[in-house]
Amino acid sequence: MNNPGENYTLPASAVRIKDLYKDFGRLQVLKGISLTARQGDVIALIGSSGSGKSTLLRCINLLEIPTSGEIHVGEEHIRLARNRRKETVPADRRQVDRIRTKLGMVFQHFNLWSHMTVLENVIEAPVHVLKTPKKEARQKAMTYLEKVGIADRSHYYPAHLSGGQKQRAAIARALAMEPDVMLFDEPTSALDPELVGEVLRVIQDIAKEGRTMIMATHEMGFAKEVSSHVVFLHGGVIEDEGVPDYIFQKPASERCRAFLSRFF
Amino acid sequence: MLGLEGYGPLLLQGARLTVYVGVSSMAIAIFLGLIGMLCKLSASPVVRFFADIYTTVIRGIPELVLILLVYYGLPTLIQDITAALGYPVDISLNPFAAGVLTIGFIYGAFSTEVFRGAYLAVPRGQVEAARACGMSGPLTFRRILLPQMMRFALPGLGNVWMVLIKATALISVIQLPELMRSADIAAKNTRKPFTFFLAASLIYLGITIISNIVQQWAEKRAERGIRRA
Repeated sequence: MNNPGENYTLPASAVRIKDLYKDFGRLQVLKGISLTARQGDVIALIGSSGSGKSTLLRCINLLEIPTSGEIHVGEEHIRLARNRRKETVPADRRQVDRIRTKLGMVFQHFNLWSHMTVLENVIEAPVHVLKTPKKEARQKAMTYLEKVGIADRSHYYPAHLSGGQKQRAAIARALAMEPDVMLFDEPTSALDPELVGEVLRVIQDIAKEGRTMIMATHEMGFAKEVSSHVVFLHGGVIEDEGVPDYIFQKPASERCRAFLSRFF
Repeated sequence: MLGLEGYGPLLLQGARLTVYVGVSSMAIAIFLGLIGMLCKLSASPVVRFFADIYTTVIRGIPELVLILLVYYGLPTLIQDITAALGYPVDISLNPFAAGVLTIGFIYGAFSTEVFRGAYLAVPRGQVEAARACGMSGPLTFRRILLPQMMRFALPGLGNVWMVLIKATALISVIQLPELMRSADIAAKNTRKPFTFFLAASLIYLGITIISNIVQQWAEKRAERGIRRA
């Protein structure tokens, strides 16, 4: 929007975070994070365990309620308030539920609903939240299951799938909501090493489609290849950030260099 | 010696009433159990306090005492109060309603603990995934939490039901002609207590054996997706 001399406007912001703080009791996990994901951005959040990657991601869809700060999803500002015990709470739960339908979340531990088959998992929220007719939801679900390569497992219960298949089913479940933004919380950290590749390939395909994504990851090679912007978190602040070439070649932050030297 | 001397139909009627009382009380117990569980898990300390009072007090008093207290004590108390206020009324409770409500209320306290344990056994990620899809609290409860809780709650609820169906014998003291009361009447009239109490025992045993079969079926169903078929 402020590009002097150029007849070019940046894509609209999909997620905008301003000055985000999150405490767990006395423990400060996020200490003033500001971050904007524009439409089509693929943002990789990297950093050691405990740096706040997951918490930041979980704050975006209000699975964790930030202690203070602002979150905008698309045009909408998520309104927060204080309850009688002085805790921060959503001002309007319906708004939060509505915004969550636009944010697809993929968890480290998959969190597929164990009492439902893969297909039932994928159509559950479209049918009951978006009120999509069942038949249509089923058809869409099958196309997403094909996309992630497990259409032949649609009638299996999660307990009968491998970790990689579970995570791909969980990705299909998130995609079935046709979200504006996909949030990945260390999607391959709970997988056996030989299953990581199949899940990363699926995520990469989604990234190529131009979907906005924010992912916390420990897969540096993947972050380097897929992301458009890399954010290095340390101790709850953004220590360094930039395009992958910058972060992986010549980051200004000494800590970032030290962190990456463990991978390359 | 084992002839029922024409009291067979009375026993069967009593058995039918016992099942009615049992099923109605269990329905109330499950309803109160779910409410009690939600209260115990509430963010409000006041609500939690009252839920604790409910389970502690009710589980700490013998069923028989509570039944007598509700059926005989409550109307008398109300009559005394209204008389003292100058508007004397005559109240007597319907024994079926009094029995069902009291037993449901008692076993609701036990069910509360069963449901609380079941709730705690459901992995948090299951609920988080639902909320992350934009499912509201009530929808998440109905579609995700409740079905998953049932797997953990059914063994405990089956236990509550077993104890409950036997506890219905206690409401014979408030003149409800359920199985125990019918057996008692037949035993007194024929002077054959062994015959009729044995018959009653066998009927109770039959009810609990059938319950066991239903429970096994329900548990199997609730374990869909957990065990290989």
